[in-house]
Amino acid sequence: MSVVTDSPVHSSSSDDFAAYINAALDASSPEALSDKDVENQDEFESVSRIKRRKFESIKETEGSTLEGTVKDNLAVAETSVEVDACTHPGSFGNMCIRCGQKLDGESGVTFGYIHKGLRLHDAEISRLRNTDIKNLLHHKKLYLILDLDHTLLNSTHLGHLSSEELHLLNQTDSLEDVSKGSIFKLEFMHMMTKLRPFVRTFLKEASEMFEMYIYTMGDRPYALEMAKLLDPQGEYFNAKIISRDDGTQKHQKGLDVVLGQESAVLILDDTEHAWMKHKDNLIVMERYHFFASSCRQFGFNCKSLAELKNDENENEGALTKILEVLKQVHSTFFDGLQEDLVGRDVRQVLKSVRKDVLSGCVIVFSRIIHSALPTLQKMARQMGATCLAELDPSVTHVVGTDAGTEKSRWAVKENKFLVHPRWIEAANYFWQKQPEENFALKKKHY
Amino acid sequence: MFFHIVLERNMQLHPRYFGRNLRDNLVSKLMKDVEGTCSGRHGFVVAVTGIENIGKGLIRDGTGFVTFPVKYQCVVFRPFKGEILEAVVTMVNKMGFFAEAGPVQIFVSNHLIPDDMEFQSGDIPNYTTSDGSVKIQKDSEVRLKIIGTRVDATEIFCIGTIKDDFLGVINDPTTV
Repeated sequence: MSVVTDSPVHSSSSDDFAAYINAALDASSPEALSDKDVENQDEFESVSRIKRRKFESIKETEGSTLEGTVKDNLAVAETSVEVDACTHPGSFGNMCIRCGQKLDGESGVTFGYIHKGLRLHDAEISRLRNTDIKNLLHHKKLYLILDLDHTLLNSTHLGHLSSEELHLLNQTDSLEDVSKGSIFKLEFMHMMTKLRPFVRTFLKEASEMFEMYIYTMGDRPYALEMAKLLDPQGEYFNAKIISRDDGTQKHQKGLDVVLGQESAVLILDDTEHAWMKHKDNLIVMERYHFFASSCRQFGFNCKSLAELKNDENENEGALTKILEVLKQVHSTFFDGLQEDLVGRDVRQVLKSVRKDVLSGCVIVFSRIIHSALPTLQKMARQMGATCLAELDPSVTHVVGTDAGTEKSRWAVKENKFLVHPRWIEAANYFWQKQPEENFALKKKHY
Repeated sequence: MFFHIVLERNMQLHPRYFGRNLRDNLVSKLMKDVEGTCSGRHGFVVAVTGIENIGKGLIRDGTGFVTFPVKYQCVVFRPFKGEILEAVVTMVNKMGFFAEAGPVQIFVSNHLIPDDMEFQSGDIPNYTTSDGSVKIQKDSEVRLKIIGTRVDATEIFCIGTIKDDFLGVINDPTTV
């Protein structure tokens, strides 16, 4: 046998051989053995030893290059690999959801809010997100994550009701038919809950544009109970209720447990810092404080809505305004049907919608506390306003807290708007330029 | 699979039950204690069907409680790998669906649902074939094959598949 004639065959077969060895090593079951090796099997007990033996036996025959045999081996190995090579995309009760094999250790992200004992791996999550997004966009929907407390409702402990709120105890709606009521006493949890005005219409209309999740920092039983009040028929939040017990990080909310692509998620929450990683998806809500305990919690010393026997206006409340914004974002996103929807990013849309709020406004700040200034400037810029440091004929608004400063006096003289910083904050909450008259700074009378 | 087997248990009885109804009390306590429980070896105890024998009671020092060794017949239910089961769908989502066969929780992932069935979101999430002839939704009855089981102290988890011949929907709630 000459080396020259032998070498090409040799090299090709050794390539095959390397592939075969890899395949055989991947396959952990003894079925991977080829017919040819059966005769050797009995003497070897452990699978690894069999494999080594196989390796040797093939090496022996290599010289004569039984390519056919090697290929046969390959075929056998491949079929058995197909059976065994389950990637274990996730687990349910510590068993692989695909092959039923028992898995040790706890890996992957827990999806306890969907079902106890369910875990999924990143690859599977992204696969699900990808298939889901196509389906969802086809139905012209996006994802919407809703916070509970201070966004959709306000709850208080029964013991924390102030004396002026005790009249509410006689006004609670029955728990028999929650779909009509708005204020409930949950005796067994010692809670009183008030739904935000307009919330039912909001959910109904939003459900046509969005697949909705609840994501709350409350615990699981509380979240489920609130969901029952908001969605008695279970049509909106079916197994999409995430509580703090389900999150992956303490004191943070994250989209990692949401089976939705980040580029199609909108978040409605009153607490910005809970969503550190997803600020671009976030629409910050004006907090709903119905009960005195909730006002106190956030350091307001005014009377609560309950104490004043008042409530947010159905037609002008925060939810009404935000629904308008959601509709606008939704229609912008799905504008111009034919284009590649998957490539679109709702965060960009949100940004551009926000940019329209104060577009055309040129703002100069006057005597604002140093620590508050950057936030205000950022807010104003996000809403499309231009912020200047010095006065300039193009300026349209002077924002300040004192009507006596030079800039303020200039504004009055030049007939420009002189407004309180709350004007910017209000625009930020309502996504709409607010009438300047309501926030005008009056010159103090000394 | 169901089995009718004999099990044994040591029952502790409070002295207040001693009297002519002692046996009845013992049996009703046994039923209360074991029915619906789960053991890794035997599966779920579905029902106590009879008492084989009650051994001699042993009085515990100090407490006055008496321990009786009780042998009883009962029906147990234990799922096995490879077994075909009929189950009721409890939840459908994009990952697959969950079903219950009595006390057993079964998950069928969408890897193990035939490829021609697609997930449809909406008010009633479901898996439907492209021609709409077969639909799996909440409360559907399905026949499935168990491919993995894990028995805990208190519950049994199973992985099921309907990606095989003669498996799938057997009763659709919408057509009834």
